[in-house]
Amino acid sequence: MSHSATPLHLLPKGARATIVDIASHSHFGELDAQVTLRLKELGFLPGAVLQVIGFGLFGADPVAVRINGTKFGLRRSEAAKILTTLQPA
Amino acid sequence: MSLSLLRFALVGNPNCGKTALFNSLTGARAKVANYAGVTVEKRLGTLTGLGRPAELIDLPGTYSLYVASPDEQVARRVILGEMAGEAAPDVLVAVVDATNIKLGLRLVLELQALGLPMILALNLADAARRRGITIDTAMLSQQLGMPVVETVAVRKHGVAELQAALAECAANAGSRSGKLALPERGEAVEDLYARIDKVLAACVSAPSHAPAWQDKLDALVMHPVLGLVLLAAILLLMFQAVFAWAAPVMDAIDGGMGWLGETAGALLPAGILHDFVVDGLIAGVGGVLVFLPQIIILFAFILALEDSGYLPRAAFLLDRMMRGVGLSGRSFIPMLSSFACAVPGIMSTRSIADPKERLVTILTAPLMTCSARLPVYALVIGAFVPKQSVGGVFNLQGLTLFALYLAGIVSAALVAWLMRRRESAGHGFPLLLELPNYRWPNAYHFLLGLKERAWIFLSRVGTVILALSIVLWFLATYPHAPVDATLPAIEYSFAGMLGKVMQPLFEPLGFSWQMCIALIPAMAAREVAVSALATVYAVGGEDALGGALAHDWGLPVALAYLAWFVYAPQCLSTIAVVRRETNSLRATVIFTGYLFALAYFGALLVRQIAALWA
Repeated sequence: MSHSATPLHLLPKGARATIVDIASHSHFGELDAQVTLRLKELGFLPGAVLQVIGFGLFGADPVAVRINGTKFGLRRSEAAKILTTLQPA
Repeated sequence: MSLSLLRFALVGNPNCGKTALFNSLTGARAKVANYAGVTVEKRLGTLTGLGRPAELIDLPGTYSLYVASPDEQVARRVILGEMAGEAAPDVLVAVVDATNIKLGLRLVLELQALGLPMILALNLADAARRRGITIDTAMLSQQLGMPVVETVAVRKHGVAELQAALAECAANAGSRSGKLALPERGEAVEDLYARIDKVLAACVSAPSHAPAWQDKLDALVMHPVLGLVLLAAILLLMFQAVFAWAAPVMDAIDGGMGWLGETAGALLPAGILHDFVVDGLIAGVGGVLVFLPQIIILFAFILALEDSGYLPRAAFLLDRMMRGVGLSGRSFIPMLSSFACAVPGIMSTRSIADPKERLVTILTAPLMTCSARLPVYALVIGAFVPKQSVGGVFNLQGLTLFALYLAGIVSAALVAWLMRRRESAGHGFPLLLELPNYRWPNAYHFLLGLKERAWIFLSRVGTVILALSIVLWFLATYPHAPVDATLPAIEYSFAGMLGKVMQPLFEPLGFSWQMCIALIPAMAAREVAVSALATVYAVGGEDALGGALAHDWGLPVALAYLAWFVYAPQCLSTIAVVRRETNSLRATVIFTGYLFALAYFGALLVRQIAALWA
């Protein structure tokens, strides 16, 4: 994993970033592996490029992203599992 | 040799246009379960022209066979033949949204490992072409080792080719019986996607970004502030439409039923038959039929919002807010459907992955004001609340109705919060909401959906409500009053006796025995309370009934009656569906008990407060 990896929920609106890893997150407890798997099934895989398209009203939560041409809404805690490197604009 | 029935199953991601394809393949011949939940219930249709008997099952949308929410489990169980009394399907028809091919193909490859014969329908081929996506279907077919057909489900384009592919399959495929075993996950998701990328590189050239208008629309619709304003405006328009736009048609139906009653009354000689037809049949059924326009308008909005792809965006916007009471954006769709009817609402909770959130949604969704409550609200409000305008814009009757809706929503939020407040703050279930492309709802499929829902309502009018009207008329007519009677005839009837037995229990709420009688048939369907009141007061037509109520009830009691209907689980089908969906007697008893308790004490409180204020 790169040192400059930024979790998805900290990316600014409009940012394009490459996924470097799907990390584990204590929030999901024993379900964490399932959540990781589902994220991967939906296309959140290392190497995939995503774009942040918007945020919810409070505290940037949830966050909307586009990946492989499909848009998804994710909560902060799910987004925090997705580690990315920002692409130059 | 007679060929056995061949069973096809439609499988695909949510939002890939599967249900539209199902409609195109089976025509309007689908057998839909009693309650038309989108595809949550199993929909079964007959396929013709395949040279042998064949049927098509429409499965709930699914992303995966391995990680599953409850409705994805339904799809998995049907595919594997784990449903009681049903073998696995003989042929899988995988539907992939051609504009979202990567995600769709992942499921296709997963399904392929099951070893069933498969056909791939590349749906929404027109939208893909407009975006400049070109797909070499022959190559794709060769790479995947299955027939591939381009379709545009909403325009019947390609449906004939798909039908031909099905027929070819039907000629070769044997019908099987028994179950399939879900193979161990053979390959990592990364490898699967690597394989997909290779296939796509060989067959698809795609600029693969959505048209700009989609993004522009999202910038508005999903804007944290403007998006919420838009959502509020849409909901306001929806409720405004239900009341204002429906009125002329309702007046026409009301007038028509009144004319029918008079004409029939003039033709029939005075006597039992006359009373039965005029006061029992026509007044009873007419009193409920008049609400058909409102129900159609409400469902039209919900269907259009659903088909256009808007609803998941609303769920996105409301997720943070609903999390405040322990729910999530996913609960929004069941809640909104419950404004039409709690039964499809509760069934659509299957897309909620978190079992506790799902339970709380089931227990609170029936607090949303369903269309069956409308007749009762409309009647009582029409009779007691003056038509004066408030602040020049609003109408006092409309505001009262809004307050009733609000009472349901606020109560649901409070109950959900109470039920979930003791759990630890972190809920470990992801939201992971797909925000599908916007689409214009297609007129044919929209009207077909609307017809299904209108039909369900009409068949209730023709069966349950008709039967209850007859029973009530009988109870309210017999035994006849003695010749020297001084009181109204109904006081001597069975209905009068029954109402008087119940009445002491409802005395603190101020309910008269007539009001108590109406509560009994309302257990089958709330709207029957209206025709029951029409029967016990022996008046036809909404205006005449309103007049009778205004004469007989006081305002505090009328408001208490409304409060009762906000909360009371006066609907056997809802209780039955809660039992089925929770599969728990305890949950069902809690559900019924807490709502009756809320209804009783709510009505009591309203009456006391209104009496002080009046």
